[in-house]
Amino acid sequence: MKEKAFVIGQSVRRLDAVGKVIGEALYPGDIDMEDQLWMKIRMSDRVHARVTAIDTRQAEAYPGVVAVLTATDVPVNEYGLIMPDQPVLCGPGSSKAGADIVRCISDQVALVIAESEETAAVAADLIEITYEDLPAVVDVMQAIADGAPQLHAHAKNNVLNHYRIRHGDINAGWEQAEVIVEGEYHTGYQEHVYLQPEAGLGYIDDEKRVTVVVAGQHAHEDREQVAHALGLPEEQVRIVYPAIGGAFGGREDMSIQIALALAAWKLQRPVKVVWSREESIIGHHKRHPFTIRARWGATREGKLVAAEAEVYADAGAYAYTSTKVTGNAHLMVNGPYEIPNVKVDTYGVYTNNIPCGAFRGFGGPQGAFAAEGQMNKLADALGMDPVQIRALNVLEEGSITSVGTPLPPGVTLSKVLAEGAAQSDYWHKTGAGWARISPTEQPTTPAKRRGIGMAMGFKNIGFSFGAPEENWATVEIHGDAKIERVVVREAGADVGQGAHTVFAQMVADGVGVPLDKVEVIGHDTAETDNSGSSSASRMTFMAGNAIKTAAEQALEKWRSEQRPAVATYRYVPPKTTPYDPETGRANPNFAYGYMAQFVEVEVDIETGHIDVVRVVSAHDVGRAINPQQIEGQIEGAVVQALGYAIMENLVVKDGRIQNPFLSTYLIPTIWDIPRETKSVILEYADPRGPWGARGMAEMPFIPLAPAIVAALHDATGIWFDHIPLTPESVVSRLREHNIGVI
Amino acid sequence: MAAHQITFTINGGQETALVTSHTTLLSLIREQLGLTGTKNGCATGECGACTVLLNGEPVNACMVLAVEVDGAEIVTVEGLAQDGQLDVLQQMFVEHTGTQCGFCTPGVLIMARALLDRNPNPSDDEIKDALRGNLCRCTGYVRIIEAVKAAAKAGG
Repeated sequence: MKEKAFVIGQSVRRLDAVGKVIGEALYPGDIDMEDQLWMKIRMSDRVHARVTAIDTRQAEAYPGVVAVLTATDVPVNEYGLIMPDQPVLCGPGSSKAGADIVRCISDQVALVIAESEETAAVAADLIEITYEDLPAVVDVMQAIADGAPQLHAHAKNNVLNHYRIRHGDINAGWEQAEVIVEGEYHTGYQEHVYLQPEAGLGYIDDEKRVTVVVAGQHAHEDREQVAHALGLPEEQVRIVYPAIGGAFGGREDMSIQIALALAAWKLQRPVKVVWSREESIIGHHKRHPFTIRARWGATREGKLVAAEAEVYADAGAYAYTSTKVTGNAHLMVNGPYEIPNVKVDTYGVYTNNIPCGAFRGFGGPQGAFAAEGQMNKLADALGMDPVQIRALNVLEEGSITSVGTPLPPGVTLSKVLAEGAAQSDYWHKTGAGWARISPTEQPTTPAKRRGIGMAMGFKNIGFSFGAPEENWATVEIHGDAKIERVVVREAGADVGQGAHTVFAQMVADGVGVPLDKVEVIGHDTAETDNSGSSSASRMTFMAGNAIKTAAEQALEKWRSEQRPAVATYRYVPPKTTPYDPETGRANPNFAYGYMAQFVEVEVDIETGHIDVVRVVSAHDVGRAINPQQIEGQIEGAVVQALGYAIMENLVVKDGRIQNPFLSTYLIPTIWDIPRETKSVILEYADPRGPWGARGMAEMPFIPLAPAIVAALHDATGIWFDHIPLTPESVVSRLREHNIGVI
Repeated sequence: MAAHQITFTINGGQETALVTSHTTLLSLIREQLGLTGTKNGCATGECGACTVLLNGEPVNACMVLAVEVDGAEIVTVEGLAQDGQLDVLQQMFVEHTGTQCGFCTPGVLIMARALLDRNPNPSDDEIKDALRGNLCRCTGYVRIIEAVKAAAKAGG
């Protein structure tokens, strides 16, 4: 039964909507200070080289230049979210050994600070950098081979991490298997293309803190990274987020934060930087390309008995969050299914390519691409319906996952599958199980073919594998006889998803006041405690749990006459554990979201052009705090995933991005969206979620690519194991099978 | 560098500015006039975030030189609301969550305004045609289309 609520469950207007439609919302690039200087970041010109000398004399002498900073100016010349394996500035004479080496084209080498943006840009080109080239490796398989150039002392054969799963008895599993399917799956890079390129302002605030105004996803993590590199206590660093112009994981790692802080700290003057679109596309990490070899076996009745996979992810030159992205893929490559015998080896591999890291789904889309591809191939090989075979195999309450433990309580995969299938209008349940309602209606144009396909998935909510996880919230009730105003202090980043509006709704319900009495104070480390990042679909769940208890406690204090009544609560979810190094056994996550998607596509077999006609996206969100915002997340994620599956083709050659522009890296326009996207929002409470809520923002991304592949198979009879499915790649695959030959 | 004096109307008020030969309209609006509602998403005419009305026609402000607007009339997102009253498009973008991160929103609103000014009752395809140059990475465009339709229905 749903917990009673008043403001929760309503599609209230976003708190920031009016400011955004009248042009008053300020983003980092919109903010100026008197006396500010401008910065230009000079990136590496090489993919792997030792920087033997940096001659800054000409740049420094250029009129209007105030300073040029290099590696010798960085107090602690290292950073990185999971390990500090990247120099802040690459160059000789650094405080850190090995920081004289550039390992990719986005490594930063020098900062030019000048009186104007133009001057800084001109002077940056006057810096003469002398390189001694080193052998580079830009291919994962070559990187792990003997004799490959070694990128980091801590990673033998460039292997950043290797995870294993040894579950059950894989050989016994193969003996039981009556049908076996195999595939080698390739997924490409994806660039975030948040509409707001990186920009920010560094300055020293009234309390002498080095302050960075920037768009990010986790202000307290930014603060930690900046403080570490500057050798300052965290209290002397402040991070402020104004309006954030999209993120999708792309703002989780550092880009300009440390450079801005360093320049402001050294010069004790405000310093501003605005990246061009090209700098943005080159300068921040990408979604990892993966190669996955999978072999699955089932009985004739369709019960899974064995799954084996080798998973390789190109981490690029630095770790970023690769160990965690590959950790997710390691679990999700087995799908949300009960498989008694599983063997998986997953590798994150360093190369001299652009670093890869967080992007909506965080390893989930790549894992699901292989898992759902395998499931659809099995259904085909067995002559079974794809919904029916899933219904036979999905994890239920108490089922043991491939890592030897059950999912947390509240497993609703079979309900999401059944309700999604029924509401898709493509499937119905018969006495013999699930079946397609009718054959796909074929277009009358001979070159066009239609097909229907589906895929499903699961995705963790919150940080995994034993990572520290917490969220702080403070609720203040102000007034005298009556409550006049309620303030919530919650750092959780509103990256555009509407987190602040959801916080306000939860506070309103928690305290029992109308929404217009609630004020959200966030986005400033000087005003809030750590909330963790806006990632892993975690903010509604984590902040909600902190807010709910803080509100209850503040209300108790209010009733005992405290004025103002203030309560701070730190929510800590149930503990998770890392993968066992030999068997992979773990309690990897404390909460999940579950989803299934049903897709109709039309493919032109002459041109290879794919038209995604209709998408039905079914989600257990636990409790829809703001249904309209949830639909917005579904519609947005579906289109981003459509781009990933069929359009977005980042071409990286010899470690260099060939298409760092929006005219050459194509994301979906308004003409590319499905003709219909139907959201099916289910509310089966997560017993651990606030008001039952689960996270949901990554989930609609994850099954779409394999669902499109299944629909293409339905339309053409051909499996496509490589994405993106650009027209040329579709045409060439169809021609291999003599389809569409003119 | 040669400076040119230009005079133009922006959001109903007359302005005079000194600009160089290569100053763009976008830089004039954002940096010289301090109207930061118009966004810079690419500076190469590829994203539509800087769309403004120039003599009633939508243009990418990054692709127009400031010297070209001498004598012209410009409307930016800040000029859509009249006397503190939101334009119906702005109202509908608020109602229908047509904005998420909001960075594309000013350009989308201006482009939609231009559409409704010449076609008060557009079809879905006409809305898509109008907005095909405005990239949005958050919404999947669904609610943008809904908001524009709702605005048209409410009298545009």
